[in-house]
Amino acid sequence: MLLELNNIFKWVNQGGKRIFLLSDINLKIDEGEFISIMGPSGSGKSTLLNVIGMLDGFQEGEYNFMGESVHTMKEKNRSKLYKEYIGFVFQAYHLIDELTVYENIETPLLYKDINSSERKALVADMLDRFNIVGKKDLFPSQLSGGQQQLVGVARALITKPKLILADEPTGNLNSKQSEEIMQLFKELNQEGVTIIQATHSETNAAYGSRVLHLLDGRRDFN
Amino acid sequence: MIRNYFKIAWRNIWKNKLFSFINIISLAIGLSASFVIGLMVYYDFTFDKFHKDGDLIYRITTVYTSPEEVDYNYGVSVPLIAEVKQNLTGIQQSTAFFTAEPSRIMNASFSKAYNTPEKVIYADSDFFKFLSYEWLAGNSESAIDGPNKVVLTERRAKKYFPNRDYSDILGEILIYDDSVSTTVTGIVANFKERTDFTFEEIISLDTGKQSYMQDQITDENWNSTSSMTQLFIKLNDKKALSNVQNQLDVLAKKNESEKAVKYNEYRSFYLQPLKDLHFGKDIGIFDFTEYNADKSILTNLLFIAAFLLLLGCINFINLNTAQATQRAKEIGIRKTLGSSKQQLVFQFLWETFMLTLVAAVLSLGLAAVLLKIFADFIPEGLHFGLFADPLIIGFGVVLILIISLLSGFYPAMILSSFKPVSVLKNRIISTHSNVSIRKGLIVFQFIIAQVFVISTIVVGRQIHFMMSKDMGFKTEAITYVKTPWMDGSLQKRQLFMQKLAAIPQIESLSLGGMPPASNTIHASGVIYLDGKKEIQTDLQLLYGDDNYLNLYDIKLLAGRNLLNDTIQEYVINDTYRKLLGFKTPQDAINKIVGQGENAIPIVGVMEDFNQYSVKSKIEPMALIGDWSRKRYSQFNTIHMQLNKNSSDNWPKDIANIEVVWNSIYPESDFKIEFIDKTIAKFYDKETSMTKLLNWATGLSVLISCLGLFGLVIYTTERRVKEIGVRKILGASLTQLNVLLCKDFLVLIGIAFVIAAPLAWYGLHNWLQDYAYKTNLSWWIFALSGLGIILLSLIIMSVKTISAANENPVKSLRTE
Ligand SMILES: Nc1ncnc2c1ncn2[C@@H]1O[C@H](COP(=O)(O)OP(=O)(O)OP(=O)(O)O)[C@@H](O)[C@H]1O
Ligand SMILES: [Mg+2]
Repeated sequence: MLLELNNIFKWVNQGGKRIFLLSDINLKIDEGEFISIMGPSGSGKSTLLNVIGMLDGFQEGEYNFMGESVHTMKEKNRSKLYKEYIGFVFQAYHLIDELTVYENIETPLLYKDINSSERKALVADMLDRFNIVGKKDLFPSQLSGGQQQLVGVARALITKPKLILADEPTGNLNSKQSEEIMQLFKELNQEGVTIIQATHSETNAAYGSRVLHLLDGRRDFN
Repeated sequence: MIRNYFKIAWRNIWKNKLFSFINIISLAIGLSASFVIGLMVYYDFTFDKFHKDGDLIYRITTVYTSPEEVDYNYGVSVPLIAEVKQNLTGIQQSTAFFTAEPSRIMNASFSKAYNTPEKVIYADSDFFKFLSYEWLAGNSESAIDGPNKVVLTERRAKKYFPNRDYSDILGEILIYDDSVSTTVTGIVANFKERTDFTFEEIISLDTGKQSYMQDQITDENWNSTSSMTQLFIKLNDKKALSNVQNQLDVLAKKNESEKAVKYNEYRSFYLQPLKDLHFGKDIGIFDFTEYNADKSILTNLLFIAAFLLLLGCINFINLNTAQATQRAKEIGIRKTLGSSKQQLVFQFLWETFMLTLVAAVLSLGLAAVLLKIFADFIPEGLHFGLFADPLIIGFGVVLILIISLLSGFYPAMILSSFKPVSVLKNRIISTHSNVSIRKGLIVFQFIIAQVFVISTIVVGRQIHFMMSKDMGFKTEAITYVKTPWMDGSLQKRQLFMQKLAAIPQIESLSLGGMPPASNTIHASGVIYLDGKKEIQTDLQLLYGDDNYLNLYDIKLLAGRNLLNDTIQEYVINDTYRKLLGFKTPQDAINKIVGQGENAIPIVGVMEDFNQYSVKSKIEPMALIGDWSRKRYSQFNTIHMQLNKNSSDNWPKDIANIEVVWNSIYPESDFKIEFIDKTIAKFYDKETSMTKLLNWATGLSVLISCLGLFGLVIYTTERRVKEIGVRKILGASLTQLNVLLCKDFLVLIGIAFVIAAPLAWYGLHNWLQDYAYKTNLSWWIFALSGLGIILLSLIIMSVKTISAANENPVKSLRTE
């Protein structure tokens, strides 16, 4: 088992009232799964992904990741954990505008203290695999949306994460670009990478091995 | 990693060109001021550090303590020298010398005599054992061990005997003042390191006994002290200090004057350590040393530098925290990619460091400019080349690091603490605390700028006030010429007068001593017995003939002028009259001051005038004639009233006077001075201080306004949408402008409210040192406050007006 959420509650206080963003979420995910999270806008998909990605906290419940209990962990160890095992892909790509394609893909390696020759080899592999060698010296603003997301995925993969969290990875792309990205995810999944994606599209969700429905921060089993 | 930081830093600096420019300029100004001022401090603190056992070397100086004041003299009485040499224990060495100002030096092979050779001393034979010179010819043992010997420095030898071998120069005869003959017995290299021992011609002391200094050198009186008499000792060790001081105290006590107890005036000997020599604030260095380092000025300068640096750092902090939201996305992404907080902090500090480095390079150029601008303020030996000194380089590096930390740390903490989720959700609003810190910093900046502005106005006014204050005598179109010191002939002076009288443009002439105001004081202690008690005063003496008062338009309040040039009579000033206790000037007439052969009648009372700058108060004074004419004439200066309506012709008049001078004193250099120029020179220190303050003010206002400009641009750009909406709703240009400037104006107003009392307090204290002072009028404060507000309004309007003018449709569409 890769991770497990038990009775997760997350809320914010607004005007003296508790507003629940997540309530009583229970979830077990095994290595090698490809999960799609669906639900209407505002149902808490992004919130859940952020909790799983350890970027955001929660108020109640237990979260175990690879046998370690995240909820009792210090911030510092938590970031060590996700740095090691999790890659993120965002709807808005979130590339660093001031860095070239090459440098964007290389950045996660810098934070893992990998030496320069190894970095070169890894980035070159990745550029190759995604067919963007010719674009390596361009800045994000010089790429199309699909190309930017390709770079985003390449960057998420460069550290060979066990888990990829993708929040509407194709939300800003046209259908052809979407298909390419989803195809890519499928291949990755077949190579053994666990993937959790949030999406509004049934077509995209169909790529996954399991679909998880959310409604107002709760799992919807209907 | 560093390479990655370097790249992103560079791209960010480049991307925000305007902000980077503001940051760099602000820091560069502060840094260049610090470099120059650091250089000055370094320069002054590295004098005479190279002497062997330098920490054991002391100069014996004299301190006079009376109930009214403490007085310093860096000389000693001559008999002390023999006492120290023969009886003082605890010292390993001592040397005495007399600083001299000969008028002329000649040699058979000179085509013309050299006038007033500078930096000449008469030194005893221990001198060259005390200071180790490098000998280029001759040797330290015998060079000045007998009469009629002189040692020249390399520089002087080259001047007098160009293109001659040093050994060849030995044996040449030099004649001082047409009468004292010396043989060159040695040539030494000038000290290469910074030193105040800048003597160029060292004559053996025995020679001095034949010179005009004879009286001085052989003076047996324990109670006369001249600053020419220099006495240095080298202690056995540090512990000997108190022992030596005790012996000196005993000597001072034993040879006390009779006046000591009676008037409560005591003399003591103070051991001045070599390291303090250069900072001779109260004491002075040597008679011929012009530049005198002043620790209090250096401290003030350091404050100015620190303030300018601080202002630059504040700009950096403000602009960077304001811009934080723009960096937020990058920060959030980096955190999700695995960056730790420390790594981000390091990245931002690195960016700041690079920016500071660029500023530092720029500031070197600015420093060169500053050194030029303040050339008259800065000693000659202090030049740009000193920047290559390892210590200065080290200081620069440390300063750059400190500045990077100071300006980078807070923004780095703010930026790196953003939470990735909120960033990625676009939910970054600048937190409240960080906005209020920014506001606080703006207020702080404008307090400094405001205090500087107010101070500049007040100091400028005070100096203008002093320089234009009526001295109490006429200063227009009056010049004076001092006749050559060496030529004591009264006939020649009178001939000079006669010839000058023939020049029609000279309206009036007088022969006398110094002008009514000068920085030379002749004074003698006089006693008046008014029946009940003795009134002892230091009475300043002014020498002048019967036309002197008339020429300077000094009015008599009672009595008459001096009868003739040599009669022993006093015309006292009104201050002395009051001090003696006479109710009216008339009461003082015919009273006798002094006793016995020194009993002298008061024949007139003249009105008061300032004898020095108006910083000091008016002292008791008397106009007297040339009593000692037979021995030594005090009438050595010719005062002339030129036609005040034809100032265009003065250069021609002066040329005429010079022709007359050359016919009478062909050997001597002609030097004429206008009395108003002489008076302006009393305020040299204040004038250079104003210049400094003007610059400090200008720069601090510039830095603060640049920062303000940056922030206004930033906030305005963030509000274009709001501006567009308001405009569509019908807001006028003025209303929009008020809306955009209001927040900043409030801050500047707060800064003024804090700055005004601070400035008032500081300036009020500063003015206490002046006998005559300007008022700290309310309008000065109001004016400078309004000035700053107006200036910042103009600066803000540059941006806000263009923003308000923009077509709202355009700004709304882009959103
Ligand atoms: N800090 C917060 N304070 C208040 N409400 C919040 C906060 N964070 C999230 N929410 C609310 O929680 C709900 C869930 O948000 P979330 O972004 O997870 O939805 P989503 O399912 O990802 O929606 P979408 O499909 O539009 O991306 C929303 O109603 C949002 O307004
Ligand atoms: Mg979402």
